[in-house]
Amino acid sequence: MKSYFEKMTDLGSELKKGRIRWMTWDGDDNTKNIEDAEAQINEAVNQVKNAGFPTEKINARGEMTVWQRLEYLVDPGTWNPLHTLFNPLANDEGTTNVIDGLGKISGKWAVIIGFDNKVMAGAWLPGQSENILRATDLSKRLNIPLVWLVNCSGAKLPEQEKFYANRRGAGTPFFRHAELAQLGVPVLAGIYGTNPAGGGYQGISPAVLFAHKNCNIAVGGAGIVSGMAPKGYFDQETAEILIEKTKQFKSKPPGSVKIHYDETGFFRYVYEEEQGVLDGLKAYMKEMPAYHPRFYRVAEPKDPRFSVEELYRLLPLEPKKVYDFDEILARLVDGSEHMEFRPGYGPEIYTGLCKIDGFLVGCIGNRQGYLGKEYPEYADYPGIGGKLYRQGLIKMNEFVTLCGRDRVPVIWFQDTSGIDVGDLAEKAELLGLGQSLIYSIQQTDVPMMLVVLRKGSAAAHYVMGGPTANRHNAFTLGTVATEISVMHGETAAVATYARRLVKEKEAGRPLDPVIESMNQMAREYHEKSRPIFCAKTGLVDEIVAMKDLRNYLVAFTGAAYQNPKSICPHHQMILPRSIKG
Amino acid sequence: MTQDITAPLAGKIVRLSMEVGMKVEEDDEALVIEAMKMETPVFIPCNGTITAVKVKAGDTVEEDDVLGVVEEA
Repeated sequence: MKSYFEKMTDLGSELKKGRIRWMTWDGDDNTKNIEDAEAQINEAVNQVKNAGFPTEKINARGEMTVWQRLEYLVDPGTWNPLHTLFNPLANDEGTTNVIDGLGKISGKWAVIIGFDNKVMAGAWLPGQSENILRATDLSKRLNIPLVWLVNCSGAKLPEQEKFYANRRGAGTPFFRHAELAQLGVPVLAGIYGTNPAGGGYQGISPAVLFAHKNCNIAVGGAGIVSGMAPKGYFDQETAEILIEKTKQFKSKPPGSVKIHYDETGFFRYVYEEEQGVLDGLKAYMKEMPAYHPRFYRVAEPKDPRFSVEELYRLLPLEPKKVYDFDEILARLVDGSEHMEFRPGYGPEIYTGLCKIDGFLVGCIGNRQGYLGKEYPEYADYPGIGGKLYRQGLIKMNEFVTLCGRDRVPVIWFQDTSGIDVGDLAEKAELLGLGQSLIYSIQQTDVPMMLVVLRKGSAAAHYVMGGPTANRHNAFTLGTVATEISVMHGETAAVATYARRLVKEKEAGRPLDPVIESMNQMAREYHEKSRPIFCAKTGLVDEIVAMKDLRNYLVAFTGAAYQNPKSICPHHQMILPRSIKG
Repeated sequence: MTQDITAPLAGKIVRLSMEVGMKVEEDDEALVIEAMKMETPVFIPCNGTITAVKVKAGDTVEEDDVLGVVEEA
């Protein structure tokens, strides 16, 4: 299929001086604005990285931190962190204590996850199980190994009610590990430190256990064992007994290597050195099931013809500014080449085949700006990019269906204000076509990812492969321009207070209190749709710098093609033929 | 040889970046039109000199209106 894929049609164009100047009008330097906003995100990320004890203190105990373990374990240049700022229950620690992401180990993609042993010795915190479930879901969706760095002191007891129980509580990940085993997805665990109770199950629930000589895993820790003689109250006698028992268990916690390597054999390997555990994981990863990339590649990998740095000039941080989506895509895909599906039809949407690291992907994105006379064809008003109309929805349905048929992973790019509204839009079946797109996505069973370039709004955020499509959406990325809400704050204020304004006016009362409420609502919407809020609450899985976006596309695509569950031979694909005609 | 700078859509001019006599290059910003809550930049079509400006900031224009003229270099 060389004639189709080796050299596709060129996409995008060189930046001209005028366009570069355009992004610096009125002292409004877009590049600087984006870089400043990214620096703020970095600051928040560094706070998470520096949470808890300083690295030196952990190292002085003869232990590595989770970050040092990751650095040793992951192939250089392949780490793509996820959920770094995820902290849905606003823990004082600033983190869920879970560090995870996509990376290569011994040349194979894996979802890698560990507890931050600098923070309360890796204790479970509120939000931790939700964070873990995102990682187990990612392994399942991409069908790639899950590699754990277990170091978990169990539950932060004073806050247990926030995470211990419930349908997606701290025990759910153990069922997810069992589910992954059922599906043939390997879960490996490197185990360090003291892991009682929940920590014990974190250790025992994976498939193969690699233990450090000083680690232990147990149903209960010293604290629980010594506290198992309740009288219903505490007194001097009880306190003395507890002191004795605690001393005893402090020196010899249950479930050490002596028990779980020598006796039970739960630990398959034990290592003297911390790095030994990681070397063990590396050796196993080398042998994990994976296709050689040549099996699926349609062409040799190529960098884009244009620098990814130009995204800082091309994507306006100011949400009202129009830009050219095709130019954005040209900075992200191999050779800045593509095969566009149905150009001219549904002009508000781009659909096309592109290559990432030599693999085929389907790309879908919102085009911006005025869509020309007579469009949308069903309406007496003009159309504007970012909105979804009949043709765009039909085109996305067709494209997604063909991607599913041809087993091509899909990368969505959102900058959408929603689906067109009103009686004409209803008559044009937009409600039904939106739901049709959800059905089409559900039918595909191919991995998808999403980049919310700027706006993700209304039902368009759902139907364009959003995180709500969570059986298909592997992960969602945001940028510093990301803004996610059901509608813009000003629109919401109008929807909420317009009738009230009429009432107050008719009653001859002052409008000021209502106007103040409207402004307050608009402000709150703004605050609760910004990138940091989106990352903390999990509306996106990571805020990524423009220059790093392509790395994530490479990780997603490589992982999706590493060991897919079904194959469409290149010469039996329909989508490229449909494009060529 | 002159080229017209025309409005790609109807809307309000929120920024005018050209004036008569100005030396311009292709893809310089000519002006910005606001419509449907979005700002659409209009770019100069060729290198040259602005010989006419037919609008000012705040004006409302219709699609295909001539906004200015550029004399090709």
